[in-house]
Amino acid sequence: MLDDVSLSVEADEVVAILGRSGSGKSTLLHLLGGLDAPDSGEITLAGDRLTGRSARALARIRLRHIGFVFQQFQLIEELSGAENVLMPTRLPGAPAAGARRAARLIEELGLTEVADHLPHELSGGEQQRFAFARALVNGPKLILADEPTGSLDAENGAAVLELLRGLTGRAVVIVTHEPEAAAIADRVVQLTDGRLVAESGSFAARGARRERP
Amino acid sequence: MTALRAALAEARTGLRLRRRGALLTAMGIALAAAMLSAAVVVGVGLGGGFDRAAKAADLPDIIVRFDPESTSLVDQRLRALPDIASYSTRFELTNTEIAAGGRRRGDAVAEVMSGSGRPGYAIVAGRGLARTGSQVLVELGFAQAWHLHLGSTLYVGGLGPQRVVGFTEAPDNVGYPLAKPRYYLSRPTLAAHFGPQPNPQVNLAEIWLRNPRYLNEVLVQARATSFGLHDIQFATRSGVKVLLDQAAGIVIDLLVALSVIALVTAGAMLAASARAEVQRRLGAIGVRRAVGASRGHIALAQGLEAMLIAVPAAGLGVVAGVLATYGPDDRLLTMLNEPPPGSALLLPLAAGFLASVAIPVLGAAWPAWRAAGRSPVGLLRGGELETGGEGRRRSGGHGRRGGLAVLGARLVAARRVRLVATVMTLGLSAGFVLLMLALASELSSLETDPGALGKRYQLTATMPVGAVSRARRIPGIAAAAPRYEVEGADSYDLGETIDVIAYPGDHTVFEDPPLVSGRRLRGNDQAEVGVGLADALGLSAGSTLAIELSTGNELRFRVSGLVSSLDHDGRVAYVPAKALLAAEPSAPYQVAVVLRPNADYGAVTAALTRIGAQFAATSGATARGVPLVNTLRTILLAIAVVDGLVCLYALIQASTLTVQERRRTVAVLRACGAGPGAVRRLLFGATLALIVPAAVVGVVLEKYVFGPALSRLAENYAALPLDATTAEVLATVAGLVLAGALATVWVARQASRESVVTGLASR
Repeated sequence: MLDDVSLSVEADEVVAILGRSGSGKSTLLHLLGGLDAPDSGEITLAGDRLTGRSARALARIRLRHIGFVFQQFQLIEELSGAENVLMPTRLPGAPAAGARRAARLIEELGLTEVADHLPHELSGGEQQRFAFARALVNGPKLILADEPTGSLDAENGAAVLELLRGLTGRAVVIVTHEPEAAAIADRVVQLTDGRLVAESGSFAARGARRERP
Repeated sequence: MTALRAALAEARTGLRLRRRGALLTAMGIALAAAMLSAAVVVGVGLGGGFDRAAKAADLPDIIVRFDPESTSLVDQRLRALPDIASYSTRFELTNTEIAAGGRRRGDAVAEVMSGSGRPGYAIVAGRGLARTGSQVLVELGFAQAWHLHLGSTLYVGGLGPQRVVGFTEAPDNVGYPLAKPRYYLSRPTLAAHFGPQPNPQVNLAEIWLRNPRYLNEVLVQARATSFGLHDIQFATRSGVKVLLDQAAGIVIDLLVALSVIALVTAGAMLAASARAEVQRRLGAIGVRRAVGASRGHIALAQGLEAMLIAVPAAGLGVVAGVLATYGPDDRLLTMLNEPPPGSALLLPLAAGFLASVAIPVLGAAWPAWRAAGRSPVGLLRGGELETGGEGRRRSGGHGRRGGLAVLGARLVAARRVRLVATVMTLGLSAGFVLLMLALASELSSLETDPGALGKRYQLTATMPVGAVSRARRIPGIAAAAPRYEVEGADSYDLGETIDVIAYPGDHTVFEDPPLVSGRRLRGNDQAEVGVGLADALGLSAGSTLAIELSTGNELRFRVSGLVSSLDHDGRVAYVPAKALLAAEPSAPYQVAVVLRPNADYGAVTAALTRIGAQFAATSGATARGVPLVNTLRTILLAIAVVDGLVCLYALIQASTLTVQERRRTVAVLRACGAGPGAVRRLLFGATLALIVPAAVVGVVLEKYVFGPALSRLAENYAALPLDATTAEVLATVAGLVLAGALATVWVARQASRESVVTGLASR
């Protein structure tokens, strides 16, 4: 699927991976998140090797250092929005003070009113904001977003992109086929048939991030 | 034909795609089929055992025992009876010495056959007795226990070595080791050693009637014309059958009930599994419908897939069930002197196999048929099958507490109908395990504790009645009184023999058989009768019981109440000693002795010896039937083990279904950093949500349904207080938790092996 791909993402950098369906961008994201293992090559996160690690070790790395935002939100149906956000903080080995961080994130994202609602009672935008809060709740170093605006209308999509662009102190990798989503990235990577064919900066986004307080 | 081929090809493909799920389904079908075939083997074996044995042995309608008398006199009396098809006589010799293979016994029963006439036993191996030669036939159960083969040598006291030429079965009595070892000799064999006797004695006659409907008339006539014969005891074919059927009935009822539970469990789990599978395949079904596949084709393919799994699994299960139970059942039947069912099993086993296949096939085809009835567009959108009340819950009222285990419980609780079905299944199984445990401990106490049957006396002593008052003064003795026991027969139904037991005064001080109905006897004209006797004679409180004693005198009582009794097969009557002694002043007795609590047993027996008494300890009710109790315990244990496996299967299946349906949830958790331990915790929460209510259901069912029901079944024998003890409840709950833990570990391992990416992509 992927062949001869080399990619380095700096902390505090937003990278967008653009490509058509089947180009291998989701596979690249899964490899970066330790959800899949490469046949060959090496993946490191903040100096820690992901390749060759056991499932248990990878789970621990994901818990503490990686946050996922999915296209379909992937909220657990039986849990309220707030419980979905709290869920990673209750996993064994989760960093301390997760509950306080969850409350703050829910408030900051304007979800307090609907915190007790079940996913099917929430709008798409609200669901994605809860998913976003869940990804951030354990303070990860890396955020991986798979088509984060794919299931949203233009207004909600823009709001989610705004949130991603506002993240500081962590690396963000966005997989998308939408140029609007790529526009917020510091760097855009083009994947075609599993190969990295082009890389370019998005100066507008970089400028915007620099202007952020 | 083409449609069938296409459906079959589709079914094969489906099977290849979900091998692990198919294995689990096959396990459930095999378990249910094993349980069903075990029930068939034991049920058919015991249920028709007596009739098979009676037919094979040509069992007589009446067996008469009497004091030894000359053959000519006995022949004369028998020929005088009306409506007799044939008869034969023999001499039954008790307490003979036998030895073989280093074993020796002095209490064997020798049946010396008169020669001509129907023998009243079946030869199950070898041949009959020849007119000359040193040869014997031995009962099959005894032969097996002593490892005797055809051609083996049996040393008989006074006769020397005898060649074993055949094995017999005769259901007029239970076999060895429940009864004493029995062997058959010919009269010429005896004559060869002791010389010919012109008019040899006999003490047993077997009578075949032309029309068994006239049994009572013949018995009345036999009583009237039996002068010259002493101590006559009648046993009838129907009396023996009632006794054996009652004993077998409990085991059969238990097995049938449990196999029904196993079938319901497997059916419920398989139906839930099939529904989940169809739910998973809604999209694929939608595509097939969209391209023109008929509703019937989709249901057929699903049904065929289930059939491909069910046929080998049910076949294996049936074979396993037969293999597991045929041996113990055969041993039990041999103990009861009954032959194995043989080919009579084939038809019920085939029916069991077909049921084991049909249930999963229908369980798979039905939801597919229902799903295929929806519009292809709806199917392609992937909406859920109708959930029968399993709608989405609303928010509100749920707090923010609770970790993974609580989430697991919520996942299970979301499928309310399945939750109830699984909890009921597990509850039924747990209730049965509790019942088995309670029954096993009750059997143990029956074996060792006379008090379990209401016997309050710990010792019996032989001494003159006049010495009883001296015995009462011995420190440590709470009460002592003569216990009279004679054998009588029902005056109206002479085939029914009755053990008549009498005490002067209140018999409950010495024997307190549990009262089933009515009240205790008051006054000299009242009697308490055993339930076995009441069943045989149609007695109830207020009926009249007329007992003909061997002296020819008759006793008449009004039945005050029915009591349980195992020791005398329920054919007992407790009567006042005054009434018995008036009719039979020389009634034999022993002195029953009740000890005080904390009495010094050694000091009491020493004091009894000093006043000239010979004493014996009272044994448990089943002291003679220890092998039977052990066999029953083995069967109960086997049932409990299979029941435990059913529990384990139900838990694994329920957990697997939860994981299958919540693959995406599990994948999300794993993507968020949940390791294998967290997945286990989630699943254990789900399992606990099933186990906790199931344990409550199990305890309640055992206490209020199963226990009382089985006690009622067994009340002909004894009052079985089948209330599970705290320890038994704890053991069952611990077993459930262990099964839950095993199911959790196994399913969590399977779930953790799946790729997170695949799980995230699932519907």
